[in-house]
Amino acid sequence: MFGDINYTFLFVSALLVACSLMSVTRSSMIYSLVFLILVFISASLLLLLLESEFLALLFVTIYVGAISTLFLFSVMFLDFKMLEQRRNVMKYVPLSLTIGFVLLAPLICEINNFFPTIPKNSLYVDNYFDWYDLIDSTTDIEAIGLVLYSHFILHILVVGLILLSVLFGVVHLMNNTNKNSNKQQILFKQLSKTPSSRFSYKKFSKILKINDTKYG
Amino acid sequence: MIQNTDKTISLSCDFSYNFASFSLGAEYFIAVSTLYITVVMIVLTRQVWCLNLQKFLSEYISLILIMACCLIINDNVSLSHEITLNNSIINDSIGYWSKLTICFFASIFFLIIADTLNGQKLVSFEYLLLLLLAVEGLLILCSSNDLLTSYLAIELASFSSYILSGFRKDSIHSAEAGLKYFIVGSISSAFLLFGISFIYACSGSIVFSDLADLFCTKIIYLPYYSEYLAHYDKILVQYQGVAIDDAEAFNNITSKSAQALFQQVSWAHTYGIHWQVVIINQILAEANDQTKYVYPVIAYLNDFEKNSFGLVIVGIIAIIFSVFIKLALAPFHTWSLDVYEGSPTNSTFFFAVLTKLSFFIFLIRFCYVSMLSFHEEWQFYSTWVALFSAFVGSFGGLRQRKLKTLLAYSSTSHMGYALLALSCVSLIGIQVLFFYLIVYMIASVNIWYINILLRVKNPVYKSKFSKELGDFSLLHKSNPALAFSLAITMFSIAGLPPLVGFLAKFGVFLVLVKEKFYFVSAIAVFCSVVSTFYYIKIIKILYFENVLVGKLYYPIKTNKVWFISIFTFILLFLFINPNLLFLLIYKIVFDSFV
Repeated sequence: MFGDINYTFLFVSALLVACSLMSVTRSSMIYSLVFLILVFISASLLLLLLESEFLALLFVTIYVGAISTLFLFSVMFLDFKMLEQRRNVMKYVPLSLTIGFVLLAPLICEINNFFPTIPKNSLYVDNYFDWYDLIDSTTDIEAIGLVLYSHFILHILVVGLILLSVLFGVVHLMNNTNKNSNKQQILFKQLSKTPSSRFSYKKFSKILKINDTKYG
Repeated sequence: MIQNTDKTISLSCDFSYNFASFSLGAEYFIAVSTLYITVVMIVLTRQVWCLNLQKFLSEYISLILIMACCLIINDNVSLSHEITLNNSIINDSIGYWSKLTICFFASIFFLIIADTLNGQKLVSFEYLLLLLLAVEGLLILCSSNDLLTSYLAIELASFSSYILSGFRKDSIHSAEAGLKYFIVGSISSAFLLFGISFIYACSGSIVFSDLADLFCTKIIYLPYYSEYLAHYDKILVQYQGVAIDDAEAFNNITSKSAQALFQQVSWAHTYGIHWQVVIINQILAEANDQTKYVYPVIAYLNDFEKNSFGLVIVGIIAIIFSVFIKLALAPFHTWSLDVYEGSPTNSTFFFAVLTKLSFFIFLIRFCYVSMLSFHEEWQFYSTWVALFSAFVGSFGGLRQRKLKTLLAYSSTSHMGYALLALSCVSLIGIQVLFFYLIVYMIASVNIWYINILLRVKNPVYKSKFSKELGDFSLLHKSNPALAFSLAITMFSIAGLPPLVGFLAKFGVFLVLVKEKFYFVSAIAVFCSVVSTFYYIKIIKILYFENVLVGKLYYPIKTNKVWFISIFTFILLFLFINPNLLFLLIYKIVFDSFV
């Protein structure tokens, strides 16, 4: 059945499925995140095997470099109750399986309709070698770079405007126009804040006669 | 080399690198002026800390938008029906007039909000620039010809809108509204990309006109004689819903375009493709000789192996649902209530009034131009979503006491009626949709302006702009003219006869009846009657509230209210002479689709 198929492709896709299963089922947030990173890396490997290097590089830079780091960073701040989650997982399994099946089945049906067979000469089948690639090859990155600043000039400009608008938002968020409230780090305040005691800080401040309504 | 020059020139014309087909003058102008204002304001505010130039800057931006209007009008390319910038921009009449409308209303919007910015504590200049960028995105969306440009334009408008709704850092409601809007908007964008990827996977193109060619959507014009209609083998011609068998009619066809149509049909028939020719409606245009008229006929493939286009249908549904989320139509409207209530009033004004038109333009381009062959599929979803949002908008607002949430419900129901006009597949439907949206924009500008002008003197919450309905009580004693114009606008939005809102709603129902959506139109009329309740409740609060002491308002300067007088007059005048708008819209639709 798999006689013609590139075994590397098969291995990497199996790795992807295994890692995604692991990332869903792990109880520890950190472990599932690490498996998620593995999922992203194997997905980028698959893209590399399909000869789309640009997308592979994008996957590594964006998903592994930015998003997973953001996840890790936010996980550090949050104090998760692992055991309760474990208990609740089984409750949602039937529902999630049903929803997943309902969403997936028509898609698979349609895709099988639309792409009925795997063509013999497709890229991930081993029996085909494109000699032109060796002689006159244009990589993905080169091709995209060729059209990006000529054909898609309008799109580049609009993307620049989108980035500008986001930049406005960030600057506005970080810009502290109120000069009087100088922010300083008070170790006592910081250490007294845990998720459980956060809302009782007001009481402490009343007891200690600290006139501070900002953190109440 | 000399021989090649002609070729290169023609090539450059085709790929639109030359300056003659530079078609986005107004958009480039707005973008460049945004950058210019940014630089100037950074320099100014760096010199003088917390320099407050908001009022001046807002009026300046209004001037910029008026100049952008002039640029649109003076653009030679913009009405040329050419597709420029590598198939990404189409210059047709719909895009031209909608861009002009949006620019005009945006400039009025900036004039209106100029005085309220300091009161709402929107004191940093980024707010106005974000509004300007959102307007820019809406303008690009109006004239985009492919799905990628549309996506980017929608993102430009949406990203600015997220920041606009969460702009008040110190208000927890504003932050909540911004976060909600961001999450729902990202889901909507994900759906849009999902649908685009499906359509690209099936067809290999994302350009609207290519898709129209691929899926054989063609609008062809038959000569009109009062008796005959053509019937040829597998061709089914429906005239006002009745299929007429008339074999002789085919022999009578003299016009060249009709002959071309039937040649194509017979060609398609030999290849086993079944065509269905449906006369969409009777826009009568005089042909060369005075006795004959021209019928637009939309020919599309009926059984073009729809099984193999299942993925296209999934893509269409994902795309229109994402646009429905952006328009806050009914099953997806729940974000709009909190976002409208929580965000600063000026931002809510922007979301409620200005953003709607260009999303409808996108829907028209997508559904009517490129995906008309699949009209049965999208018509089903759009009709039911429209009906449901008319229902939810009218019943949800009944017990609502906050003004902004009430207006959110009202906007949901209005978008429902507009979508009903879109979802009956006819050109008259598009005309009615345009008429409805323009009347909606005029009336909502009026309501929101009155809402912004009336600031209740509140000793506790000095910067509070959100109002409850009770805050309007006994307004007719303190400010009778303002109360009168608010009452007029409410009557117009409710759709009562001596005002133009009646004509707008009436047009929607007429088109529905004409296209044989009897059940749908009955429910829509019922919902409209129910929604009249809360509009008239506001008028009751204005005039007949049984209280002795009304609210105190901050005084209003006289020179601020002339917009209100003008728009109230327009609402009255357009009922007396609606042909002014009708003829314009007729021309727009006729130019772009015929």
